[in-house]
Amino acid sequence: MVLITAGVAVYYILPKSWQWVELLLLSLIFYYFAATPYTIIYMVISTVIAYISTVWMSKLKAANRKPGLPLTITIAALALNILMWFVLKGREFWLPVARNMSWTSLVSMRLIAALGMGYYTLQVLGYIIDNYWGNVAPQRNPLKLFLFVIYFPQLTTGPISRYSQLETLYEKHKFQYQNIAFGAQRILWGFVKKIVLAERVGIIVSAITGNPELYQGFYSWIAILLYPLQMYADFSGCMDIVLGVSELFGIKLAENFRNPFFARTSQEFWQRWHITLGTWAKDYVLYPLLKSGIMVKFGKLTRKKFGRKTGKFLVNLVGMFVLWMVMGIWHGGYQYIVGVSLWYWVVLMLGDLLSPLFTKITGKLNMKTDSFGWHFFQSGRTYLIYAIGATFFNVGISGGLALLQDAGRVIVEKGYANLWIFFDHSILNLGITYVDINIIIFAVILLVLVAVLREKYGYARTWISNQSFLFRWGIWLGLFVFVLIWGKYGPGYDAAEFIYQGF
Amino acid sequence: MTREEVYERLNNVFREVLDDDSIELHDETVADDVDGWDSFEHINLVVGVEEEFGFKIPMGKVVTMKNVGEMVDIIMEMGK
Repeated sequence: MVLITAGVAVYYILPKSWQWVELLLLSLIFYYFAATPYTIIYMVISTVIAYISTVWMSKLKAANRKPGLPLTITIAALALNILMWFVLKGREFWLPVARNMSWTSLVSMRLIAALGMGYYTLQVLGYIIDNYWGNVAPQRNPLKLFLFVIYFPQLTTGPISRYSQLETLYEKHKFQYQNIAFGAQRILWGFVKKIVLAERVGIIVSAITGNPELYQGFYSWIAILLYPLQMYADFSGCMDIVLGVSELFGIKLAENFRNPFFARTSQEFWQRWHITLGTWAKDYVLYPLLKSGIMVKFGKLTRKKFGRKTGKFLVNLVGMFVLWMVMGIWHGGYQYIVGVSLWYWVVLMLGDLLSPLFTKITGKLNMKTDSFGWHFFQSGRTYLIYAIGATFFNVGISGGLALLQDAGRVIVEKGYANLWIFFDHSILNLGITYVDINIIIFAVILLVLVAVLREKYGYARTWISNQSFLFRWGIWLGLFVFVLIWGKYGPGYDAAEFIYQGF
Repeated sequence: MTREEVYERLNNVFREVLDDDSIELHDETVADDVDGWDSFEHINLVVGVEEEFGFKIPMGKVVTMKNVGEMVDIIMEMGK
């Protein structure tokens, strides 16, 4: 925080053409403190590959020679980057193999804190592909390109930026009160979500998942249903901080969340949750795959054989499978692949298959599908589907299955439903107090309020900034005090530690 | 090829691919405005356009086009 405040002050005093240099320096300092310093070599190599390949490609294109070569260069550059990522992040796959081969040098890879490795790799891949497609011009200054790779607010947790959006990094930024105010407000709001809400909910969830023998029945339900809230408060709170910090420097990053729990279907959910990853995968994986000769032929063939609807469904089936597998591999580990990727693939495909049936049923019953109640039911269903997938993400496959099984027993087994835990003092054994519970409830109400404002008026802060001076400052000061008093600063607490950091 | 001609043929492509005869496209039409125009149909539409007009649309354009107007711009540009 001190670093950022000083950084912002210097940023607006410096000659404007030096601003990007300061951002680069700040990023390096940040990296030095936040990660194992020497891992930066991977980012340097990645930048060098991206630089050489794109500049070379643009020269070839300009000279109009060797038309096949740009594709070869692109593929080689992408492959090298993916390979590097695989060595670092893919250790979940590598390590067992390496152990069997007693290839100890690879084991030491585990020691490397692969901080945010996944995010910068995706950005670099996107940059190279955009160059190949001719959507952006290559950056001729390698240091500027390096800044794009290592830009500190988003380094650890995303959002995954496109080069075309981040060219503002090199522009001159005038001091604007609004950027500072909005940025600071956003950081504050992020802290409310992260250290007031997510930390507390996290205590409950891990108390239950850590002692499955002790906490059963409805406890399992609590853990399953609260984990998405914890994830959301943590990850989106982190995004608020990241976007807020970047805004202090006058640089707007892409939004990663748009009220995901308001989604009516799982499909819509993924358009509102981790948006930059979703659009990245769509543009750089799904579209090229679907447009490839094989898939187009496959689509035509199946359509001819099975009719329009089934043909489309089969293409969908293959496309989504590849998409979710890529997401799974990127998140790392077979736990995620099987538990989350496969789960969502099946759910989304079933949703696709059954949606005509649902429409028929609701039509027959003459239900009002645009009513609040129906929307609420749909969002609840989507939440539950997400909660089940997230359980695997949280405690792994066997742990997740055990937890879900235990939750299921409440429904089928008489006497297993320990409903009383909600009324006696049992919940207080989970490491929290009544005050904590009240704070959680209050924070959730705040979250819902902000979400509704956002759904209706765009940003909640725009709505607030239109209010009277006293009311405005009342809100922000109130939030500040709220964080100060009720923020969970446990021992060894580290503000940079987020669930998503490892990815 | 005039813009009107492109629109006429484009309307037919969309109606056929999405199986909906009521589709009427404008410059500002985006995917959200048309029932059934999702990521998968997007590619089917592009392939349909390629077959109708007889050229390939580069992948970079497939990804960046924001509305039907831009699609028409691309078609007119490529069809020159």
